[in-house]
Amino acid sequence: MPVTDTSLRDEYAAAVERVAGRALDALTGAGGAVVLTDPTSTAELAALRVLGPDLFAAQLLTGAPLESVTTASLAAALLAFPPAPAAPVGQDALVVAWLDHVAGFLAGRSVPQPADVPDPEHWQRWSVRMAQLAPLALPGLDGPVHRAAHHRPLALARGATRAMLRRDHRTALRLVRWLAWLGTPTPLELPPLLDRLRLVGDGSRRTTLELTITERLLTETRR
Amino acid sequence: MTADARLLSTAQRLGSNALHWLHRAHQDGHGALPPDAGIDLSDPDTAYKPIGESALAASLILRDGVAGARDLAAAGELIEFCWHQLQSGNLLYERQLRFPQLTDPLETYAHFARSGYRHRQLDELLASLARLRATHAAELVPNRRLAVANARRVIGLEHRPDWDALTAAGWLGATPEPWAIDWSTGYDLTHTVFHLTDWGAGPDGLPTPLRSYLRDWLPVWVDIWLETGQWDLVGELLIVDSCTGEPVCGLDPWERLAGAQHPDGLTPRDTEPVDQNPARAFKDHEHTAVVAAIAGTVTLARALGGSPVPA
Repeated sequence: MPVTDTSLRDEYAAAVERVAGRALDALTGAGGAVVLTDPTSTAELAALRVLGPDLFAAQLLTGAPLESVTTASLAAALLAFPPAPAAPVGQDALVVAWLDHVAGFLAGRSVPQPADVPDPEHWQRWSVRMAQLAPLALPGLDGPVHRAAHHRPLALARGATRAMLRRDHRTALRLVRWLAWLGTPTPLELPPLLDRLRLVGDGSRRTTLELTITERLLTETRR
Repeated sequence: MTADARLLSTAQRLGSNALHWLHRAHQDGHGALPPDAGIDLSDPDTAYKPIGESALAASLILRDGVAGARDLAAAGELIEFCWHQLQSGNLLYERQLRFPQLTDPLETYAHFARSGYRHRQLDELLASLARLRATHAAELVPNRRLAVANARRVIGLEHRPDWDALTAAGWLGATPEPWAIDWSTGYDLTHTVFHLTDWGAGPDGLPTPLRSYLRDWLPVWVDIWLETGQWDLVGELLIVDSCTGEPVCGLDPWERLAGAQHPDGLTPRDTEPVDQNPARAFKDHEHTAVVAAIAGTVTLARALGGSPVPA
């Protein structure tokens, strides 16, 4: 009877963990730049696409030049998993289009910039979109999404609080990341919230990477 | 109709429906004390506490004076029924005389005093107790201390509580991390605001930093408890929103709360099925009816900016 060790979903999740671990090692000085190790692994290429701007966290947070090997790796991932060719329709597609645009920018490839930013009318929905766009919350990536974040710190803070109370800790962490990225006093005290998120986190490399990026944004960046 | 007008119309309808449900329930014999009820209530929560809560709602509707004639008449009959149940205050007096450390006779009496019901011996007793160090040394949680302080204020007892110290001692006074709230703490917070503002009559009783804190986080808490269908707590939070004098939660939670109300005015406390037994349904949901009735009157009164009607 044929059996497989892992489902496709598990295989891709494991790849995201491996690549997140490499980005974390690069950020903490425990390893070199993130690089594609197996060009034939679609799971690894997908993981590079999933991590996107976070692959460059070590450089973006310190103002260092982007690592060319990481740029080339992400470019390969964009070839394997190309952005949607059509203009985004709907808020979900808009989020993906922004992530693709910034990934293209970092990979040295031209991916069109969406014409709109997420609709800010309802802070609940908008904050969830912003959480999905949290990989953009790194120094050096400023654009319309970042300006929207600057204009609505209370909506980000309400979204983070709502996510905490819904025990959606990933969304909460990503909104705290935006608040940390703002670099200005926010309606929420971030260190105790970050402490709490560290304690309730799932312990994955990806979560640890996002926690570490947020801590660095809080303590090291001066915008 | 503008969103503001729709909000007020929804709040008015919600409160009025809840008031008439309460009124009918009392006419049908629910919520009455057992005939042999004495001062030594083995379980004050069975009928005694709901009587006080209905009296509170009625007293606020009469105080605010923004309801229509039919609602004002129902509120008048409701508080009269409750006063009669308490033997025109004798039960409160006897209970307070026997148990000087209890605060419920004082607090319950305040609802009636607000509407001009007085009991001379109870007034004298409460004035005497207020002069005891023992009375003020009672070990109460902070929002209960505020309840007692506000009851003394409403009754007109001579006292000078340190409102700032009382406020600072509670959860809200610490302006805590808003994500650290839980269901029970939510009620501590709402009651703190009710007593500091005397149920919306004095929004200035709420210190400015607390008002600002509430403006930031009330929309989140309302959203959370709407999602879980905790209608009772949602109603209390909407009262708080109005008590601040500058509500921020908007129309949507009102429409959702009104949507949960049954056609007969029963306002469910949560999303659990309502018991078919009317006595059980009254017991389970009378508190939420009281909350809805208060939410309606306080919200209208604050929005219309009227002065409280003297008792």
